[in-house]
Amino acid sequence: MASDALAGRSLPYPCYADAARVERVPIVAHRRVGERTHRLRLACPTIASGCVPGQFAMLRIPGRVDPLLARPLAIYDTYLAPDDTDPRGDRGQRPFVDFLYLVHGKFTTALADVPAGAELEIWGPLGNGFRDLPSVDHLALVAGGIGQTALLAVGRAALTRGASRVTLCWGARHGAYLADADDFRRAGIDVHLATLDGSAGLRGTVIDLLDRVFAPPGGANDAAAPGHVVCCGPEPMMAAVARWSAGRGTPCTVSLEAPMACGIGICFTCVAPIRDASGAWDYRRTCVEGPVFDAANVVWPEATVWPETTSTGSQHG
Amino acid sequence: MPHPDRPAPAPDAGRGLARAAEGPDLSVSLGRLRLPNPILVASGTFGYGREMAGLVDLRRLGGVIPKTITPHPRRGNAPWRTVETAAGLLNSIGLDNDGVEAFVAHQLPWLVDCGAPVVVSLAGATAAEFVTLAARLDGLAGIAALELNISCPNVSHGVDLGTDPEACRVVVAGVRAATRLPVLAKLTPNVTDIVAIARAARDGGADGVSLINTLQGMAIDWRRRRPLLGNVVGGLSGPAIKPVALRCVHQVRRAVGLPIVGVGGIMTIDDVMEFLVAGASAVQVGTASFADPTASVRLLDALPAAVAELGAGSVADVVGTLALPAAASGCPAPVAAAPSPVSEAPPHAR
Ligand SMILES: Cc1cc2nc3c(=O)[nH]c(=O)nc-3n(C[C@H](O)[C@H](O)[C@H](O)COP(=O)(O)OP(=O)(O)OC[C@H]3O[C@@H](n4cnc5c(N)ncnc54)[C@H](O)[C@@H]3O)c2cc1C
Ligand SMILES: Cc1cc2nc3c(=O)[nH]c(=O)nc-3n(C[C@H](O)[C@H](O)[C@H](O)COP(=O)(O)O)c2cc1C
Ligand code: FES
Repeated sequence: MASDALAGRSLPYPCYADAARVERVPIVAHRRVGERTHRLRLACPTIASGCVPGQFAMLRIPGRVDPLLARPLAIYDTYLAPDDTDPRGDRGQRPFVDFLYLVHGKFTTALADVPAGAELEIWGPLGNGFRDLPSVDHLALVAGGIGQTALLAVGRAALTRGASRVTLCWGARHGAYLADADDFRRAGIDVHLATLDGSAGLRGTVIDLLDRVFAPPGGANDAAAPGHVVCCGPEPMMAAVARWSAGRGTPCTVSLEAPMACGIGICFTCVAPIRDASGAWDYRRTCVEGPVFDAANVVWPEATVWPETTSTGSQHG
Repeated sequence: MPHPDRPAPAPDAGRGLARAAEGPDLSVSLGRLRLPNPILVASGTFGYGREMAGLVDLRRLGGVIPKTITPHPRRGNAPWRTVETAAGLLNSIGLDNDGVEAFVAHQLPWLVDCGAPVVVSLAGATAAEFVTLAARLDGLAGIAALELNISCPNVSHGVDLGTDPEACRVVVAGVRAATRLPVLAKLTPNVTDIVAIARAARDGGADGVSLINTLQGMAIDWRRRRPLLGNVVGGLSGPAIKPVALRCVHQVRRAVGLPIVGVGGIMTIDDVMEFLVAGASAVQVGTASFADPTASVRLLDALPAAVAELGAGSVADVVGTLALPAAASGCPAPVAAAPSPVSEAPPHAR
């Protein structure tokens, strides 16, 4: 959490959007990479070269009033893989920004039909991102649904900064949703998968997976224990991971996925109940004071049933 | 279809065209409130202004109206707080704010230096709370006007003051007596007769009315048999409500002698011009700033050409120039007291 920017309330919110720009940019590539999952590449050097891991951008199809508003998508990748043959794919310049999205509702359904060459409206980079993450020897990334999109860059950054190990534990409903796991492997991240139906990896939830991968503290495999957990996914899953981490005394940082209408702090849609130093809570705008928070400061909903049993219930496949 | 009784061009139309070359005069007056141009940003849709400083040159705006403040801090309603609907947005934010003292200490100092006129939006649960807020802000430097949010559909009491003419008059009169600042009353469309409420605001001494706040609505997830908004019901905004807002501006313009700020669904320069022609002296951009953070300045960029296209030399020359068919039904005849030009202040404000 960006404690310096939040210190006191003299300017009662950080202003990360000061660095954001509203642009209209072309789609460079757009393809399906998994079940209802698409990868979108935009020519957007301002965001690609100016973002912090865990930041997001707002995307909109120009000229439409239905859907009216932009949607937040995590900045998935700005690194261009060595086998990318695009001649402009000069890694030093970072000309492109990649998003990975699940076809879900109005916007993502419409977006999936917008071809390469067309333009999108975008503003970003937005939010705090994982800018204050401590350096640890072993970082655990925990993803649910499409939440992995916030985690690739932070895993890569940890390895660059000298972590000896980054482990991804990724849970989904079905194996077909686990698109682009190779992006994590190529980045040097250990990937462990779980699916509710057992179609890929362990059959069970991501908590079952965490229990399997990380031996209990004090056990024979204690060396495998992560020094820090970073998590993104549906809220009930993040609440469960926060409890799991707290139970082991491991600090946990989450990236919340509250619905957003503006992404820049002007509408007060995206709030989550966050505790301050005194322990009192207030609704905070996750788009400007988050989306990344210390899990210990989030007031998690009581008694959530997770995973949900209905197929229509979850936002994330 | 052209109306046979469309008024002939004003005698000074030629002068207007000549002036258009150097750009029409964009400044407007609402009673005692003078603004550099008619494009303001609406309360609750522009944060406290500071959030937008990196994206919009605030100095260009006709006015900034920060999010409504209340006497005490309010957490606001539980999520979800907004739901997108067909060409619209439902919200039930619930006046989430840190209270007037935090506003004065932390937001206002930056706002009054932002370079745009600042219209502070207030809400109280009672007339007495409105008066207390107005008195607290009265002596402070840099505030151009107050806007009374007697129309928020998302808090109890809010709507009551805006739906009963006498309650509305009492609030406005109380505030009028407590401040020297120009006062705008922001009205709800969720009434049978908005003209009656606007008259009450005029009788209370308002310098103008802002029309409209959101329309009450709701959204449902039928599979879970649940409302989508945490507050169950909320207020509808965005392009979907523009026809309602235009109708309100038109009716109040015809029936009540009070300057109007039009708000509701403004996305394009055509929308802006429609409100001006209908009788709004200025407009507020709301939900459009969510869909495009630069919407307000984009509209301002397009304004001079649109005013010139009408052959008008100034925005003020466009205001209220709607040509009605000879025997128009569904709109009250203008009252004898309707002032023209609209910038004339109501007697109470003098
Ligand atoms: C910071 C951030 C980063 C994100 N990154 C990604 C990403 O990288 N990839 C990705 O695929 N998605 C991401 N999301 C989620 C994505 O923004 C939403 O899923 C978005 O609403 C999809 O838009 P849509 O129009 O397709 O669906 P919508 O029409 O908005 O939603 C369809 C239905 O889903 C339900 N719904 C909407 N929002 C929520 C919610 N928050 N919780 C539960 N139900 C909801 C509603 O019932 C709605 O009718 C991110 C969200 C945030 C806040
Ligand atoms: C998310 C949201 C929050 C709002 N908050 C306020 C508020 O605090 N005070 C107020 O007077 N109006 C508030 N409004 C109403 C707007 O100022 C405006 O009157 C309304 O949205 C209609 O204009 P629009 O269609 O251009 O948005 C809010 C509207 C939205 C969408
Ligand atoms: S999404 Fe509008 S304030 Fe966060």
